[in-house]
Amino acid sequence: MLLDFERLAGLRPFLIGLTVVVCLFLILPIVFIAALSFGSSQWLIFPPPSWTFKWYQTLFSDSRWLYSALTSLKIAAIVTVLSIVLGFLAALGLNRGSFMGREALRALFLTPMILPVVVLAVALYALFLQLGLAGTTIAFIVAHLLIALPFSIISIGNALEGFDKSIEDAAILCGASPWEARLRVTVPAVSHGIFAAAIFSFLASWDEVVLAIFMASPTLQTLPVKIWATLRQDLTPVIAAASTILIAFTILLMVLAALFRKGRKV
Amino acid sequence: MVMSATTDGGQRTLRRDGSFGYVAPGLLLIVFFFVVPVLMLLMRSVLEPAPGLQNYVELLGSTTYLRVFMNTFIVAGLVTVVSVLIGYPVAWLLAIMPDRWSRLVLAIIILSMWTNLLARTYAWMVLLQRTGVINKTLLSLGIIDKPLSLVNNLVGVTIGMTYIMLPFVILPLIGVLKSIDPAILRAAALCGANKRQCFARVLLPLSLPGLAAGALMVFVMSLGYYVTPALLGGTSNMMLAELVAQFVQSLVNWGMGGAAALVLLIVTLVLYAIQLKFFNPNRAR
Repeated sequence: MLLDFERLAGLRPFLIGLTVVVCLFLILPIVFIAALSFGSSQWLIFPPPSWTFKWYQTLFSDSRWLYSALTSLKIAAIVTVLSIVLGFLAALGLNRGSFMGREALRALFLTPMILPVVVLAVALYALFLQLGLAGTTIAFIVAHLLIALPFSIISIGNALEGFDKSIEDAAILCGASPWEARLRVTVPAVSHGIFAAAIFSFLASWDEVVLAIFMASPTLQTLPVKIWATLRQDLTPVIAAASTILIAFTILLMVLAALFRKGRKV
Repeated sequence: MVMSATTDGGQRTLRRDGSFGYVAPGLLLIVFFFVVPVLMLLMRSVLEPAPGLQNYVELLGSTTYLRVFMNTFIVAGLVTVVSVLIGYPVAWLLAIMPDRWSRLVLAIIILSMWTNLLARTYAWMVLLQRTGVINKTLLSLGIIDKPLSLVNNLVGVTIGMTYIMLPFVILPLIGVLKSIDPAILRAAALCGANKRQCFARVLLPLSLPGLAAGALMVFVMSLGYYVTPALLGGTSNMMLAELVAQFVQSLVNWGMGGAAALVLLIVTLVLYAIQLKFFNPNRAR
């Protein structure tokens, strides 16, 4: 009864009503920000008195915003590549290895994902200060790689679970070298896992705030750090414009991921 | 869990098939940039300014810092309770409603989850401010006479954090509720149980492990949250993660910063250990 949608009776309107409210609660703030980014009111009056593109003009004419967006893009791209390579190797080792402490090692690899990120941020900040690397691109890449890598290991590891290693062995028997077999047989076979790893790693770096706040210097900031610093001063609609671009980017990635999944089923 | 290495009957050795080599680059990264810096930070908490435990004595002995601990637990607890109360019915409906509709709701949940954290927090800062839409609407409807203060206080943090944590309760619960056989509930009804009894004595207990696991995860994640409490909370509801950041950034007190970080780390690890021990889905099978 309670688990039969058709026979919920009086409970059904309640559950549907609550779910609709929750959906609105989840979606409206996002729609609201997108709408305000085109509104003319400096004080974010809603509904806006008139519509304008001026906040986007401000955003795109300010070299600091552009530079921080490019910095974000560059760091996220490098982190994605490193995360896939290291993640593929680590997943391969964790998946096939029979060495001691394998499960403990898997847990160690995933720990940065579950720990409070502020602890990691403060610890890395101290280390980079001592190494003289604070405020450099390297510091950003290392910090973001630590939290991106677990996503790669999980995604690629799951894909490897479903891959029959004997196909790789067959390629080797047919004369391929072990690495040739891995690159030309295994990698294409787990490409969906690698694709997922790429998206998650990219987003992990692109959206990351806390580590970035500690790794940033006045001259080197990612987009989230720039938003954070601006937010602490005022709620200018320029942030709404920047947020809307980030949201559009997210939707684009989601659609890409959905299309990719659909393409695989066919 | 895959159990390998038992088939060949041989002893496990470190380099038996060279696969340890694949793990090495990642392991080096983790050791040098995760294990070592965290340990160094913890060392500093007992070495600076002088060797000893005075940082911990100060942290755990002063009422100022105790208030921060209290606040952290109050916010995390409140967010968890609200998320569970709202999330459970939604997950319940999602588990049984026709796929066509549940796919739409899931897309909305996932979209909000993937939206940049700062963009979402900014949205709530704007919505909840004194001249924001929520206050204006309530004023024009005549429900309130003067604007409510919804931001820079406990209300603001709770709304903003619940917004972020809700998907983490709903998504795992859907699977748990889907795995419950509807025939069990039909049986309960046939035996004379009314709706309330069916829920309280059959459905809820059967979904409790998934619910508890999700709730504990949300609680742990909330404990260590930094960005949203810093932007939506007031100075009087500072949370532990903010305290750690403040010690390091504004006060440049690495000893106290390290000590506060260790407290946060230990609480998190203990709660995770509880989660693994009691709610690990891999263990029971």
